[in-house]
Amino acid sequence: MRLPRFEYVKASTTGEALAALQAGDGQTRILAGGTDLLVNMKYRIERPATVIGIRTIDELCSVTTGSDGSLHLGAGVTLSSLAENSLIKESCPGLGRAITAVGSKHIRNMGTIGGNACLNTRCWYYNQSQLWRDAREVCRKAGGNVCHAINGSERCHAINSSDTAPMLVALDAEMVIQNREGERRVLAREFYRNDGVRYNALEPEEMLSRIEIPRGNTERRTAFIKICSRRGLDFAMANIGAAVSVKAGRCSQVRIVIGAIASHPLILEKTAAVVEEGGLSEGGMEQAADTARTELGTLTNLFSSAGYKRQLAQVLVKRVLQELKGSSRNKRRAGK
Amino acid sequence: MQRRSRQERGAQVMVSKYSVVGQRHPRLDGRQKATGRSEFSDDVYLPGMLHGKIVRSSIPRGRIVNIDTSRAEQLPGVKAVITHKDTGGLMPGPDTVLLCDEMVNYFGDEVAAVAAVDEDTAAEAAELIKVEYEPMTPLFSMKEAMAEGVPPIHNYIEDNCADDISMAFGDVDKAFSESEHIRTDEYVIHPSHSSFAEHHVVVADYSLPEKLTVWTPVQSSAIIQMSLAQNFGLSSSNVRIMNLNTGGAFCGRGSERPHHYIAAILSRKTAKPVKIICTADEEFIIYRGGGKYNFTFKTGVMKDGRLKAIEADLLHDCGPYVETQFIMLRFTGFQLQMLYKVEASKFTGKLVYTNNPPYFFHHGAGLVAMRFAFGAQLDAIAKDLGIDPVEIRLKNAVDKGYTTLSEMHFASCGLKECIQKTVKKSGWKKKHGKLPPYRGIGIGCGVLRAGGKGMFDHDTSAVFIKIDEDGKVSLVTGLPDMGQGSHTAMAIIAAESLGITPEDIKVIAGDTDITPFDAGAISQRGTFTTGNAVKNACSDVKKQLGKTAATEMGVKPSELVFKDGKIFSKGKPEKAILFEDAVYNTLHSSEGRFVMGRGFYNPPTEGVSGGDYKGNPALAYSFGAQIAEVEVDPETGIVKLLNMTVAHDVGRAINPMAVEGQLDGQVFSGMGQTLFEECIMENGRVLNPSLLDYKLPRPFEVPGIEHIIVETNDPYGPFGAKEVGQGPIQCTSQAIANAVSNAIGHHIKELPITPERVLEAIRQKNKNQ
Amino acid sequence: MKRMITLQVNGDTCEVAVEPWHTLLDVLRDQLRLTGTKKSCGIGTCGVCTVIMDGLAILSCLKLAIESQGHDITTIEGLGSADELDPVQQSFIEHGAIQCGFCTPGVIMSARALLDKNPQPSDEDVREALSGTFCRCTGHIKTIEAVKHAAEKQAGAGGTSDGQ
Ligand SMILES: Cc1cc2nc3c(=O)[nH]c(=O)nc-3n(C[C@H](O)[C@H](O)[C@H](O)COP(=O)(O)OP(=O)(O)OC[C@H]3O[C@@H](n4cnc5c(N)ncnc54)[C@H](O)[C@@H]3O)c2cc1C
Ligand code: SF4
Repeated sequence: MRLPRFEYVKASTTGEALAALQAGDGQTRILAGGTDLLVNMKYRIERPATVIGIRTIDELCSVTTGSDGSLHLGAGVTLSSLAENSLIKESCPGLGRAITAVGSKHIRNMGTIGGNACLNTRCWYYNQSQLWRDAREVCRKAGGNVCHAINGSERCHAINSSDTAPMLVALDAEMVIQNREGERRVLAREFYRNDGVRYNALEPEEMLSRIEIPRGNTERRTAFIKICSRRGLDFAMANIGAAVSVKAGRCSQVRIVIGAIASHPLILEKTAAVVEEGGLSEGGMEQAADTARTELGTLTNLFSSAGYKRQLAQVLVKRVLQELKGSSRNKRRAGK
Repeated sequence: MQRRSRQERGAQVMVSKYSVVGQRHPRLDGRQKATGRSEFSDDVYLPGMLHGKIVRSSIPRGRIVNIDTSRAEQLPGVKAVITHKDTGGLMPGPDTVLLCDEMVNYFGDEVAAVAAVDEDTAAEAAELIKVEYEPMTPLFSMKEAMAEGVPPIHNYIEDNCADDISMAFGDVDKAFSESEHIRTDEYVIHPSHSSFAEHHVVVADYSLPEKLTVWTPVQSSAIIQMSLAQNFGLSSSNVRIMNLNTGGAFCGRGSERPHHYIAAILSRKTAKPVKIICTADEEFIIYRGGGKYNFTFKTGVMKDGRLKAIEADLLHDCGPYVETQFIMLRFTGFQLQMLYKVEASKFTGKLVYTNNPPYFFHHGAGLVAMRFAFGAQLDAIAKDLGIDPVEIRLKNAVDKGYTTLSEMHFASCGLKECIQKTVKKSGWKKKHGKLPPYRGIGIGCGVLRAGGKGMFDHDTSAVFIKIDEDGKVSLVTGLPDMGQGSHTAMAIIAAESLGITPEDIKVIAGDTDITPFDAGAISQRGTFTTGNAVKNACSDVKKQLGKTAATEMGVKPSELVFKDGKIFSKGKPEKAILFEDAVYNTLHSSEGRFVMGRGFYNPPTEGVSGGDYKGNPALAYSFGAQIAEVEVDPETGIVKLLNMTVAHDVGRAINPMAVEGQLDGQVFSGMGQTLFEECIMENGRVLNPSLLDYKLPRPFEVPGIEHIIVETNDPYGPFGAKEVGQGPIQCTSQAIANAVSNAIGHHIKELPITPERVLEAIRQKNKNQ
Repeated sequence: MKRMITLQVNGDTCEVAVEPWHTLLDVLRDQLRLTGTKKSCGIGTCGVCTVIMDGLAILSCLKLAIESQGHDITTIEGLGSADELDPVQQSFIEHGAIQCGFCTPGVIMSARALLDKNPQPSDEDVREALSGTFCRCTGHIKTIEAVKHAAEKQAGAGGTSDGQ
């Protein structure tokens, strides 16, 4: 498959990238690792007139620590270099695991954290070649008025399959966005939207420059689990990111976020409340998992049946809580 | 700890009387392939070469109202645009017109094509071609297609039945009436795709009207050569097929496809070579992988497990074009009475036209589905009767010397040995019925012929040998090597015959201007048939060299032995002449004879008669057994294949390393078809047409494999060899599916066994308890 | 409009004229005729186009040629020397890890990148490194074995390893 024609702008500074974005009249896309964008362009889902390369912007390609101890991940840092980052491994192993869960080694060597956080939503009726899509009416995500996934639906249900997104939400991460006026910050939980078309808070002329992970207290434990039918190269059938502070057996600041089953990561607040209440006892964890099942609301049959997604969510909640119970902040976890 | 080397751990092979046959031999083209030097069709860049792109139907069924090519023709860089009008009415098959004229019959049907200076321009031009359709109600399910009164897909076949066979042996009614237990079960096998790494690709050079040269990956140069010649009105020697290397085939490259014709026509029109390569989505759109099977099996047994009668009915969706899918029906009918001794068997099969993509069959000659279904039912029967699944198989297994109901004859047969060895090695007795919850073990068995008649009236392979004055041998064969290692196997057979080493041999293949006829790498015929041809060509060489050697040594030619690079008289190795000296002396003598051997082989069987399907199509049949162990996660439904114990009666392992490679590849493919691979169809389209969403296993999924090579020394095979090309995969699917059924305690009847289906099966089981 | 770019491939400096939408794979194959790097899916799923860029295995089908400037690129043609194969190549041949050979260059490059970073990989590491590749013929079984053997052999030759 070949790429469509486009103009290329190499940005050396954030300012240059923003200027090119503005000049582009909405017909411009940011190219980070390209493992999502270029595939979509080959499918002719995206046909930008101009593509802006941002991996040449130094400030986007580093990991630093803020004065408050927060971790600042440049949007252009590749997933494989983050996977080796000792700060991440130590302070939020769950994020480390989410990062190594993405695609294959090859994909992680190319793909960036910014690209993964901004990953386009996916759908069986949309992520297809031009020829394939030509066989059907143009759907909402492509600018039409119908949805093939749910007949008669008023919105697009394309799925956010990013592996880091649920973890970023669970970590209360802040997305730092650059635009003409300067910088704005959006909490990850608000960055993601429950809409397959406008799936995140970025405006066409904005870009993500970094992701800030708050330091968290010393009792913070984090975990991530991905379920896919095939290890090594697969989008999740469902994934989960969770964070919790455990002190003297009591849980606080519980965040449980399910990804890859809806258009945005689903924050399970009731489930979290059950954990804050019942702690990490066997009974408490079971109860939390049951709560998760009902808390999910309606789900689509996209990629797998709603019933199966619900089942996976329940299992994931149970397993992630078990893992949180067994882990402590300094315990490093290897693999996925 | 030092790991034991592969050679030490490797499959056990008997101590052999042969010098080369039976040794582990790295493939001869290994260096080329490992260094990226091996040329594949897409690596062919010819001067002036254009790129073609096919315009495909965007609807599954309808009438073509208009094709507007004007904008494409005006695009700079476009050299030709063709539609049906430019094909001269060419019909590649009885139900297929090249580039649709009136009707399109599936989503992706070829409608027009362009040739342009580069791929981008060709793609752009293809997009500019506007086709207007009058859509018709498509038929996606076999039920719809078979319903009374639906407008047929091809108006000359009213009931949408592409083929319909009934094949019965023995007295079926009697055998059922005598049966003490009868079971009927239905099985569904969903479509799976060949997904070879090298996409469909062709470079056609038809610049001059008298000669067509085609570079393309194929399983048989002969078949495509004949088809192209016939359809273009060329004599077959004016069609040159260049099959450089083939990036996998798995049953999917048996014959020519529309893109071969289209590239040729574009080339003729522009007088330039034209390359067409299918993109990732097109690979799934044009399909030609495994179709959908609906099986009903009715089996009658005695209480002690003896099989009495097997009756099977198959409905197979063939898409709109039947191509050679009818073979699969016949194969299936025969299989019912080939593996187990049974008193009577009956098969009814139907190929149903639909507006799904043209299916074909996938790795395993289209038989994996059938073997899964019957293997699953046999386990269910064993459970009904309280017999161990191994016992019921051993009780009914065919033996050496057995003649089946359809008169197939097994001159060698290691089925029981395969079963017994896998049982022992896998620890079956300690495990079956004794594993912890959600762990399971299952067995599967299979049989497959090594070559044989069917595609042609004969099953011929011919081979040339020339020996240069330095004693180095060139072996010229028309047999393609798609990765299975045939060329190395042929070199080993020649080396053994001539008493030299495989390194002394250069295999020349892949160019029909040079290579003699070979029916191709189909029906697992390479080792057996071409191998015998190689042996015959070597005999011819030995006659010529023997004359020189015998004269020089003053012995009778009949006493000569060719071994260890020497020619000597039987029992007197000390008085020997070097092979290369014999060659040299034969040429540099007053006679001046340049040593050239030729040989061909056509298995002397009568074949199968059309009427009653009786007769022996092949001389040799391979047998196998495999045992799988699985672990099921009852909460997610994910199945982990832990290990496979794999035994195969190959007759003789010409090259154990390659045999293991075949076993591995087939376990992998069989595991894919059983647990992972499914083309999810919706309205005639594959919803998951990429290797990301079509889930072939990857390295983390592959199990540990124990190889057991069983050698029964077939009387007709070259050095006793039979086949290992597609026999092993016949066992894999059943073994894994039966292991899953065993793990969850519920009879699995649908492939692939995806996590959702596993959970559903567990639910069913709990409901039934 | 085409632009001239300079690529560092297998130690050579190559000047080529490219369009922005040309991938590194397009340039390697169509212009430099380094056809050892194969082209298949084009969408990141099969790994046959794997090359090593700055020490990492990447997919040349998803890398723009213009973004490949200034990076050190190694293709299958750049492994080994005129006289000797790379240990990974040698191991693939010796252990039957090659069948049709179409995926082989991509798998070998992925393995080479692994061993460069991690000379003594675990079974898990090897499978991980090969997960982005796809080999229907061998079913990955002998490729995994061959990579482990190459690692052992390399460790033996380098003398840095004390085994496991
Ligand atoms: C075979 C394969 C397997 C995959 N498996 C997984 C998987 O398991 N899990 C998973 O999560 N993903 C997976 N992906 C998707 C993708 O590769 C990853 O999500 C990757 O991290 C994307 O990062 P990138 O830098 O390559 O993104 P790009 O493709 O460069 O960008 C992705 C999107 O984000 C936008 N973008 C990128 N950076 C910025 C920025 N700084 N500001 C604003 N917008 C930006 C782009 O315009 C584009 O729309 C897979 C992809 C492939 C091809
Ligand atoms: S969910 Fe509906 S609208 Fe959204 S991409 Fe899929 S088909 Fe289109």
